[in-house]
Amino acid sequence: MNNRYVGLAIALAVMVASPRAAGQQPGAADTVGGCPAEPLAFHTCALAKAKTFRPPRTSSGKPNLQGYWRNRLAQAFSVEGVSGSEPLVNDLVMPWTLAPAMIVDPPDRKIPYQPWAASIGRIGENYAKYLDPRTACGSGGVPRLALQDPNQILQPSTDDYVLWLFEDHHVQRVIAMNRRPPLGDAIKMTNGDSRGRWEGNTLVIDVTNLNGYTWFDDSGNFYTNAAHLVERLTLIDPDTIHYEVTVEDPKTYTRPWKLVWALVRQKEPGFELMEEACREGERDVSRIREGGYRYYFGESWRGR
Amino acid sequence: MRHGFMCAIAAAVLVAAPIAAAAQGSALPRTADGRPNLQGIWQVLNTAAWDIQDHQARLGVPAGQGVVEGNELPYRPEALVKKRQNFDNRATADPESKGYLPGLPRIMYMPFPFQIFQTRDHVAVAFEYDRGVRTIYTNGTPHPEGSINWWMGDSRGRWEGNTLVVDVVHFTDQTWFDRAGNFHSDGLHLVERFTLAGPDHINYEVTVEDPAVFIGPWKMSMPLYRRKERNVRLLEYDPGLLMDEEQAERERKKTK
Repeated sequence: MNNRYVGLAIALAVMVASPRAAGQQPGAADTVGGCPAEPLAFHTCALAKAKTFRPPRTSSGKPNLQGYWRNRLAQAFSVEGVSGSEPLVNDLVMPWTLAPAMIVDPPDRKIPYQPWAASIGRIGENYAKYLDPRTACGSGGVPRLALQDPNQILQPSTDDYVLWLFEDHHVQRVIAMNRRPPLGDAIKMTNGDSRGRWEGNTLVIDVTNLNGYTWFDDSGNFYTNAAHLVERLTLIDPDTIHYEVTVEDPKTYTRPWKLVWALVRQKEPGFELMEEACREGERDVSRIREGGYRYYFGESWRGR
Repeated sequence: MRHGFMCAIAAAVLVAAPIAAAAQGSALPRTADGRPNLQGIWQVLNTAAWDIQDHQARLGVPAGQGVVEGNELPYRPEALVKKRQNFDNRATADPESKGYLPGLPRIMYMPFPFQIFQTRDHVAVAFEYDRGVRTIYTNGTPHPEGSINWWMGDSRGRWEGNTLVVDVVHFTDQTWFDRAGNFHSDGLHLVERFTLAGPDHINYEVTVEDPAVFIGPWKMSMPLYRRKERNVRLLEYDPGLLMDEEQAERERKKTK
């Protein structure tokens, strides 16, 4: 089988694969925020730039991350990148685009899966047997929400919360900056519980209480309900955020690992987020399910 | 008995408080730019999500006094027929029962908390129900032009003294006002008024206009109460996901 969901309406393929969603424009400039347009090179360069850049501040003196943003250096096919040897590159319905890995650590730029998990993620069992949770109109989850479609950061002047809004599925993340205690372990949520703090000029967000129902990408790369994510957002110039996620999940990986991409300011005059609600469901889901694809409800669903 | 008496006193204080505080407007909490500070986690304490009008108890539905001024809705005759059909078929016909976004104004009075955030240019509302969100632009921009059908409509707000006044258009005809089948067309036009009536109460008022369904405008109003629990926060209720999960579980049992 060359492509999952074979025989689907082209409309769906267009929705999932649109350049807007994938965030990769052919012929785009080869620098982002004055850094090379390759995730690892960008990462090294951006961290160096962040040391000397003095970000604009809010009226209360915090780094001002507010505005509309869109991903660069990211794609939704695979966080491990897409190489020329990947058969899906030649797919007739929905060819994948060649792309470097967004993983900057470990050095081999692969997800350090434990042996049992490697055959489930990485275009494995998840890809072959399960419906991509995002296609089923579930939330893209963290961090995938930030690499699909534009998003917006709001910082109320009271400094007690940061609100992150996403056009993708029209959902929100409330990031508590008020040092509230963690949530009880029995409560799991698709987007988890987010607690933030400022470390110098960087917004650091701890995400816990994840239900593990979401994927990183179209390839079915995943974490479980034991995952702990740490996101770091740092302005490296007035219009570019270095976005980094450290992923920890002792049930799934042999060590923590790290993803990086850029969030670039949307500067079109009058730009606003639109409503892409999706709650009414994707009409092709029933046809995909007739093809044998099952709903994905996390690793625990398989009875491990 | 004594316990009941104490509750009665508490209720009286709860009711009297907003009026008293409204009289001394200067004591209202304000943001750095001097606007009334509506931020926080809020929730209604009423039965409007089931029925915005007076209704007796039904199985699973608490009895309730309506939130509609004068109780009656000025339906056009043919629309009233449709409302009655909706009521009869409500268990499966209510779009909310399918996991869709409840739309406005219904999401404001679902029995779930929501959180208000304010910046200079926005009042944003994040909902626990369905992880929904609405952005009310307060930067003076007009509604976008065109034929737009959004579940949550398009909200543009302005401050009139201590009241946030919000104009909402660009709806779908796919949402209802309540589980009782009260409905509207995609020509729905809302004007909402949020008035901070004290540190822990907002008076919320909605004027509804929809010439295709109603012969004239009508109004509903209700208090929003601040959630005061220590450590309170928005959790997640995702009806579509929960429905899919139940269906998957049924299929799993069948194949066993």
